[in-house]
Amino acid sequence: MSDKLPSSQSLKRIVSSGWVNFRRNSFMSFGATGVMALALLVFSGLIVLNFFTSQVVTFLDEKVDVSVYFQNDAKEDQILEIKSDLEEFGNVRTVNYISQDQALEDFKNRHRNDQLIQDSIVELDSNPLQASLNVKAVDPSQYASIAQFLEGNALKTVIDKISFYENELAINRIRGISNTFSRGGLGVTLLLAMVAVLVTFNTIRLTIYNKREEIEIMKLVGATNWHIRGPFLVEGGFYGLFASLLTLAVFYPSTYFISNKLLGFAPDINLFNHYLGNIGQMFFIVIGAGLLIGVFSSFIAIRKHLKV
Amino acid sequence: MALDGVDLEIQDGEFVSLVGPSGAGKSTLIKMLIKEDRPTSGKVVLDDIDLADLPDKEIPFLRRKIGTIFQDFRLLESKNALENVAFALEVAGADDEEIIKDVDQVLAIVGLADKKKNFPKELSGGEKQRLAIARALVHRPKIILADEPTGNLDMVNSFDVVKLLWRINELGTTVILATHDDKIVNTVGKRVISMEKGKIVRDQLKDGKYII
Repeated sequence: MSDKLPSSQSLKRIVSSGWVNFRRNSFMSFGATGVMALALLVFSGLIVLNFFTSQVVTFLDEKVDVSVYFQNDAKEDQILEIKSDLEEFGNVRTVNYISQDQALEDFKNRHRNDQLIQDSIVELDSNPLQASLNVKAVDPSQYASIAQFLEGNALKTVIDKISFYENELAINRIRGISNTFSRGGLGVTLLLAMVAVLVTFNTIRLTIYNKREEIEIMKLVGATNWHIRGPFLVEGGFYGLFASLLTLAVFYPSTYFISNKLLGFAPDINLFNHYLGNIGQMFFIVIGAGLLIGVFSSFIAIRKHLKV
Repeated sequence: MALDGVDLEIQDGEFVSLVGPSGAGKSTLIKMLIKEDRPTSGKVVLDDIDLADLPDKEIPFLRRKIGTIFQDFRLLESKNALENVAFALEVAGADDEEIIKDVDQVLAIVGLADKKKNFPKELSGGEKQRLAIARALVHRPKIILADEPTGNLDMVNSFDVVKLLWRINELGTTVILATHDDKIVNTVGKRVISMEKGKIVRDQLKDGKYII
């Protein structure tokens, strides 16, 4: 005879006893579940943030190109000469010429629903837009050399500005902001997880205290350690489970809401669809984290306060 | 020191009354038999097993071989009579059919067959103690340890409880009854061990009397 793992019948009793602990303790359960859900929610937010940043950065990386804007007095053949120079340069994939007229046409098209802008354009005497060359590189890291090549070109004087540096700045800034948020979010997650562990620990400790008589009797009638400890571990697990379900119940509607807002300026990134597609993985991660926090808290409460 | 130089052997099937004033060490002796207390020196041997050698995880199985009864009954107020007894089997991992059968049987033995659904607060003191005895019996123990089982009971109920213990003993279970109730001890007779200040002062093997 040894302290073997409980049979399925015993397991059923342990789980139902843990469930009763969870239910009877409703007020405390509410607190423990709430704090844990908050921790899990910030954690989910962190996952979303990381995903979103990586998407934005990839998206911007693809969008990176060098736009060369020309002075208004630049002649078309000068521009076309630069274009053919660029096309001979090794790293260039495509070069697209946008004339002043074309630029104006594009601008009008883009704002065709805005009467104010349309009216203003009509008022203008001359075309205020610049002609430009749009350069895409074979490899995104090669833009610096393309810019350098242009700087050294004989017709450099007709070039007004090269807009590559600004894009890079934007990408770096997004990365920077995202890193700061990630780090902050991780800190908050850890802090909240710690609070959740403490609150759950305390709740379980209270259950142990309330049940000291029953525990005493269990020992007296020869209950195995599993039978005495099991219900408290299960109780902790239930806090984790309900906190995760609560988190997911808040998470999906929020993602749906945020996703709709984000579609406005990042139409290629649909957060809600992404997490709907990965619903299994998301459930696994959140419920797994919840159970881990719950059972861990319970475990330390038992270690400290339940002598068997 | 609660016990001092106690040298005692109890045979299978004996009915032993352990008597003496409070603080004599009766409860300590009983706690040592279920390894709730451990001797600082000396040995407690039960069924040829030195309890000091018994690993902690085996303690639950030791306690299933020994039924214990206390002055304060130690029943769960939130469970009815049936559930209180069933509880002892549930936490030992018995299956449901077995539990129903065994619980009915022991409740009949202690005369509570018609009070299955009653909660402890609906039972008299004597009934509570009989329920506690039923719970102690349900593991079919080889030994029943009763620590002042009549301490909270009036004369009539006390005798009921003792008669029940007597019957259990006649069915072959060893009974160790710790008490300071002289009338009970004198009625039972049998072996009486008198203790005082942690020492055994008298061991009457037959027709023992409570002598102060």
